Amino acid sequence: MLSKRTHSTLSAVVIFILWEASFHLFDMKWYLLPPPSMIFNSMLDNAYLLFSSLATTLRIAFTALILSIIISFSLAIIFYLSKFAERSIMPITVTLQVTPIIAIAPLISIWVNSSELATLVCAFLVAFFPLLANTMSGLKSTEKNHLELVQLYGANKYQVLRYVVIPSALPFFLSGLKVSSGLALIGAVVGEFVIGPISGHSGLAYRIIESGYQLDIPKMFASVFLISISGILLFNLIKLISFIVLRKWHSSFQQLD
Amino acid sequence: MALRLLTDRDRKKNIDDNELNLIAQLSSISKKFKSAKTESIKDINLEIYQGDFLSIIGPSGCGKTSILKIMCGLLRPSSGKINWPTSNFQNSPENPANLSFVFQEPNLLPWINVYENIKLPLKVLGESGYKADEKIYDVINLVGLKGFENYYPRQLSGGMSMRVSIARALVTQPKVLLMDEPFSALDETRRYGLAQEILKIKKEKKLTVVYVTHSIYESVLLSNRIYVMQANPGKIFEEFDFSNQNKSKDYRFTSQFIEQAKIVTNSLERSQLVK
Repeated sequence: MLSKRTHSTLSAVVIFILWEASFHLFDMKWYLLPPPSMIFNSMLDNAYLLFSSLATTLRIAFTALILSIIISFSLAIIFYLSKFAERSIMPITVTLQVTPIIAIAPLISIWVNSSELATLVCAFLVAFFPLLANTMSGLKSTEKNHLELVQLYGANKYQVLRYVVIPSALPFFLSGLKVSSGLALIGAVVGEFVIGPISGHSGLAYRIIESGYQLDIPKMFASVFLISISGILLFNLIKLISFIVLRKWHSSFQQLD
Repeated sequence: MALRLLTDRDRKKNIDDNELNLIAQLSSISKKFKSAKTESIKDINLEIYQGDFLSIIGPSGCGKTSILKIMCGLLRPSSGKINWPTSNFQNSPENPANLSFVFQEPNLLPWINVYENIKLPLKVLGESGYKADEKIYDVINLVGLKGFENYYPRQLSGGMSMRVSIARALVTQPKVLLMDEPFSALDETRRYGLAQEILKIKKEKKLTVVYVTHSIYESVLLSNRIYVMQANPGKIFEEFDFSNQNKSKDYRFTSQFIEQAKIVTNSLERSQLVK
């Protein structure tokens, strides 16, 4: 039997080979669907341009993700401690979540001068909600027995949070993080699409638009590939972090040791 | 006669005689949950004496657990009160650990190891340093967990988890141990083994134990006093005092044991006929 990882890698390789082969066999048009080799060459030819754009996009995505972590976590704790705060603020966050980011982005670009900051706001708005919702349900899903255990010894609110509530919310938080990490990247790209190139050095979204103008389809594909690859890497990074944090105790990793 | 039913007068007399030894007296405790139509326990009168191994036995849902939770302050009674004549046995801010509770399931926190689980009550109480360490290793040795300090709960068997749970309850050096069907998830032999260890620990640590169970066998084997409860609403049905028995290791094979088990069984069956 193949291991899970080898299996996924192999299937990707097979798809690429089929793609490359059918390009040559069926005489496909490179300007409609370039073969992987051409995309790879374009990536090398435009390496500096593309990778520095990738750096910009990733910088925005990471900053948005870190902001989401800090703000969602703090909000979740505040909501846990105060029903009043939850009832007053939660509707706003839900509204922000359900309104398409493309609809708010023009407004944000009017309000915020710097295009980088505006894109960051977009990425943050997209990324933070799943993290908030997951952390909140995590905080609420503490086992009653665990709560009673610390109450028995007269634990105060802070101790209850620290010893029981927050640790039991951790798996929820981490699965929220998996969703949010992808969304932060999506937000960073979508934001730049709507708001326009980021001053200084534009991100990958602008490279895609630019390639469209130039009819440089291989470069367009190369940009898209870079976004996908970094999304996959980001997702796996979060998976690895979850594994390190939870492997000792959480049932989702029970079969691994 | 070796055993007797206590009448109200006997009970009063007992209290007078043993005033110094009475550590808790529950007077007409009732509890009605918000969601329920009727009281889940009604008019519970119950005394605990120093050194008692007191069993509360009854059908599921008769409110045995509620009584324990009311005793340790996890539940507030709807009416009635508890007296603690020798004062600080209650879970008060000044003295929160004189009562400990062993839950029905081991109830260990899965994200920390055995050592940290046992340490948890001390952490909540703000005790740390080598004194805390000493207490922790004392109970680890007492319940036979040496070498398992770094294990995580999911690496432990049911019996081992229960030992951790007992160690955690003992780490605060309580005077009264409340146990809520602690061995119900274990197999018969392991139950017996752990029950014997509880008796040993009780003797060594001079504990008073209140033990909730639905096993007639366990209650007769372990306790000197037994309260039989009826359900709907939960009430004390009868009370037995088996104090005069010498409960040696082979006690469970004696005719006395069987006679007492018969009496308790009979009482339980009668309690279920009462409306």
